Amino acid sequence: MDLSDHAARNRAEWNVWAADYVDAGRRNWSADRITWGMTRVPEDDVQVLPVLDGRGVLEAGCGTAYVSAWLARRGARVTGIDVSDEQLATARRFQQEFGLEFPLVHGSAESLPFDDESFDLVVSEYGASIWADPYVWIPEAARVLRPGGHIVLLVNGTLLVLCLPDLDADLPAGTRFLRPYFGMHRFEWTEDDSVDFHLGYGDWVALFRANGFEVEELVELRGDPDAAPSRHNLFTPAWAAQWPAEEIWRARKTA
Amino acid sequence: MSQPDAELNRRRWDALSDEYQERHREMLGRAEPRWGMWQIPESELLILGDVSGLDVLEYGCGAAQWSILLARQGARPVGMDNSARQLEHARAAGADFPLVHAAAGEAPFPDESFDIVFCDHGAMTFADPEVTVPEVARLLRPEGLLAFSHTTPLSQLCWRDDEEVIDPELHRPYFGLGRVEWEDEPVAFTRTQGEWFKLFRARGLTVERLQEVQPPDGAVSTYRSDQETDWARRWPMEQIWAVRKWT
Repeated sequence: MDLSDHAARNRAEWNVWAADYVDAGRRNWSADRITWGMTRVPEDDVQVLPVLDGRGVLEAGCGTAYVSAWLARRGARVTGIDVSDEQLATARRFQQEFGLEFPLVHGSAESLPFDDESFDLVVSEYGASIWADPYVWIPEAARVLRPGGHIVLLVNGTLLVLCLPDLDADLPAGTRFLRPYFGMHRFEWTEDDSVDFHLGYGDWVALFRANGFEVEELVELRGDPDAAPSRHNLFTPAWAAQWPAEEIWRARKTA
Repeated sequence: MSQPDAELNRRRWDALSDEYQERHREMLGRAEPRWGMWQIPESELLILGDVSGLDVLEYGCGAAQWSILLARQGARPVGMDNSARQLEHARAAGADFPLVHAAAGEAPFPDESFDIVFCDHGAMTFADPEVTVPEVARLLRPEGLLAFSHTTPLSQLCWRDDEEVIDPELHRPYFGLGRVEWEDEPVAFTRTQGEWFKLFRARGLTVERLQEVQPPDGAVSTYRSDQETDWARRWPMEQIWAVRKWT
């Protein structure tokens, strides 16, 4: 694989982190209900996914591929791609455990090994949506989507990204902006070697439009204040009940 | 918007109008169309584009400084405002096109009358979007453009309640943003970013652009203190939507 610097760094980090994602992966593979992100807002509440039955779906940055499993059980013909071979090894183990097979491809969303117009939906929940450079991979997503197809991305909330501590990485987000909004794009953190990507609202709109997408929805997920804290501790349940800790963009390829 | 808010804002804008026009006279009395609190030129932003020959409604026009300039570019503008006193200032400024006194939800025009409905901190701020978005969708011709500037929902979170100061601190929840009323000021309305998308889409309007305004280095404003402008150079205080009717 010919990887960009950040993709190679993220692959190395995710290969290390993979062991910590086995239990969470199994819990999600075991779940019947589709929920979104760390706030676990049910898909039934937000209804952001398009029709799945019989549709070709690519999960970009699938990790342990539980989102793919949820969509496959609803009749979608799913393919997962991930840059981490260790994450894919976990995904393959779950395919055996749960008796649900679909193609898993080792590769980067920034250079998708698929033909033009191969899929009806590109979905990413904390996958390529934050770990790949959107200015590189959104054009790729547009290329592999059929006209009328959708892209659905779950990302960290914009306000959360502004409020996340860096040096005190074990602390959840507070209520103070710790970095500017203008210029948001590539983020490196002191705690590890990974690189992630976050754009402001206006930049997302411009990027989708430039790649032939109509922006249909921006769903700002509101967490339950009484929920159990998520293990990543990026935010408290009380924070996520007041400010969007997670956002889902849905756009449709128009031409 | 409830009728009481429309009446309240009519009274408050009538009372505020003379002082407002005097305070911002120099800033608003410019030679070319400019957007917002830091007067960024339309020729830089290209939100409206070429307006010649188009029917344009300025939706909350105040003294119609924008429409006067668009008329010179060949547009056929109509200025509408909820405040009669604001419209008197428009007449005094030389507006020689229709000026209509009406509340935002009661635009006295037939369906599909305009190619562009726009405002620069106008009715899209001072009336409830539950009222204005459907009204604009009705007024626009197919492929017509809604464009408006307003303050960002993000900045609404950061004003301190006790003092009139903005800082980089979340002082109130984002969910539930809606009606904002400061003492003696006109009532303002907003929604979260996601709710705006939803409101537009429910009326067949598609977001083409969301331009967050970053004031240039050294920008000054009669609307904002230097401290506020400094804040706005790091986080968006003002944004402009360009939304197309596709039905």
